[in-house]
Amino acid sequence: MGRILRWWPFVALIALLIFPWVYREPYYHVLGFNVLLLATMAVSWNILGGYAGYTSLGHAAFFGLGAYLVAIAANELGWNPLWSAPLLALVVMVVALGLGWIMLRTSGAAFVIASIAMLLIFRLLTLNLRGITKGAPGLSQPLPPWSPEFSRMPFYYYMLFWLIIVLLVSAYIRRSRFGLGLLAIRDDEGKAEMVGVNTTLYKVLAFGISAYFVGVAGGIWSYHATHISPIFAFDLIIGVEMILVTMLGGLGMLWGPVLGAFIYVPATDLILFQFGSSTIHLVILGGLMVLILLFLPQGILPTISNWLDERRTPRAAHTGARTMAEMYDADKPAPALEATGAAESGSTIITSQER
Amino acid sequence: MTDLLRAENLNRQFGGIKAVNDCSITVQKGSITGLIGPNGSGKTTLFNLITGVYKPNSGDIYLNQKKITGVPASQLCHLGLSRTFQITRLFWNLRVLENMIVPVRHVGIRSLFGPGVLRNEEERAIALLKRVGLDHMKDEPARKLSFGQQKLLEFAAVLMSNPDIVLLDEPAGGVNPTMIRFIMDLIRSLNKEGVTFLVVEHNMSMVMELCDHVLVLDTGEKIAEGPPHIIQSDPVVLEAYLGE
Repeated sequence: MGRILRWWPFVALIALLIFPWVYREPYYHVLGFNVLLLATMAVSWNILGGYAGYTSLGHAAFFGLGAYLVAIAANELGWNPLWSAPLLALVVMVVALGLGWIMLRTSGAAFVIASIAMLLIFRLLTLNLRGITKGAPGLSQPLPPWSPEFSRMPFYYYMLFWLIIVLLVSAYIRRSRFGLGLLAIRDDEGKAEMVGVNTTLYKVLAFGISAYFVGVAGGIWSYHATHISPIFAFDLIIGVEMILVTMLGGLGMLWGPVLGAFIYVPATDLILFQFGSSTIHLVILGGLMVLILLFLPQGILPTISNWLDERRTPRAAHTGARTMAEMYDADKPAPALEATGAAESGSTIITSQER
Repeated sequence: MTDLLRAENLNRQFGGIKAVNDCSITVQKGSITGLIGPNGSGKTTLFNLITGVYKPNSGDIYLNQKKITGVPASQLCHLGLSRTFQITRLFWNLRVLENMIVPVRHVGIRSLFGPGVLRNEEERAIALLKRVGLDHMKDEPARKLSFGQQKLLEFAAVLMSNPDIVLLDEPAGGVNPTMIRFIMDLIRSLNKEGVTFLVVEHNMSMVMELCDHVLVLDTGEKIAEGPPHIIQSDPVVLEAYLGE
């Protein structure tokens, strides 16, 4: 069991590497790209939303910002999006650090609303700064130079590369002192502050890092889509999807968002395929989400791991039942009842000093 | 002996209520000082003023002769002042060991991105956990501990930042008599190792037995202070507790 758990990421990686050669139609390459795109963004979102517990509904702002920066740089400066996306995402991160410093003074519902407001402000700016963004009609950029037959495959592999990077970053953060601080903030921010965690620094940093990879994803998506417009680049649904797949897979868990994306995106596609391109898939997905929240409120991975835990150690709670008598004198375990009696009479208790 | 913690003429109002009214206290270095008073007398407010949760309307607080008025809570533990809470607050989903590590002082970006739990920190944490009898549960999430164990964990975690002074808010609240004994012994032995304590407690026999100096608050004012045996028979104190 343990061996499988250790090796499955590599097995999955190999499967993902050969997938485009097994399914050669561009449709599958686009589907794969969309899965990896959402997975990358959701893993990134999870660094703030899952680890620190700050639910941002407006992360699409960084997606759109990354997309527009890349498109503008491609048009005006001739920068190739493949290398300008990670570079320009640094600009996205700096913007996020600044905004985070202001927005993260709020928490809970107020933060959720602030994050939506941030997205709407970005969309309004993009619609109205016509000199730079061309307004509502949007921007086009040069097509990739690859042969049309396999034009989607490089995007697929590039997105896979970024999913691996963001997973490594997320795993690294989870194990670092920084990640420990974020988890402490999620559990009790006031207490974390009280024991010396610089909560503002931690939160703002998490916000910036989680914005960075969403910005990269936006930049790559921009090249992939060729034409971008404010309505699609700054779409609230993108942010909602990041949250949905994270909650579906397991909030605050490394692999949760990935699993969620691998279920959600193909399912959406299937429903679209069945019912045509209406918005009925949103209704069906909404219904599914309600079912998941009702029956798997923690998400798939935590539910499974809890279930495995219970099977492995049927009653884990007994480990906690060490008696006070044992705590006093581990060498000479005395029945708990006797120790209690002694304490009440207040005479024969063995204190730690005497020992 | 010198005073480690000193509050001078502290005032704090909530609306029209003077929760802490011109209150001056000192805590001697190396002492176990008790802070008692009837319900609503301002003990916890005073704690919150000292630990930076609230800012005083007027007055100053000194730690090691250094002014700490208005210093945010997150800085205070780095200056050697830590506290526990009346209602235990832990990081419920973190493991017991991780709960011990969070309060370790960490400075700079480099340590931020270093490993979550350093070897030497883990050793120190386990030594402290052993002392409170929780080392066997180090990998359990904190929410799985019993009520008493939670209190002990909070206490042990406070010690990880090497505090000069620890403010305990009702360490014996809701705890069985054996555990009270255990906590008292723990406080005493830590005190022998140089940790100063300021303890808010309702359990009078514990205060009288444990503390070497007692401060009495009533309606936000300090009405008496002195060694326990004198406080016990002070008519002003008795009146505050029992009424006329």
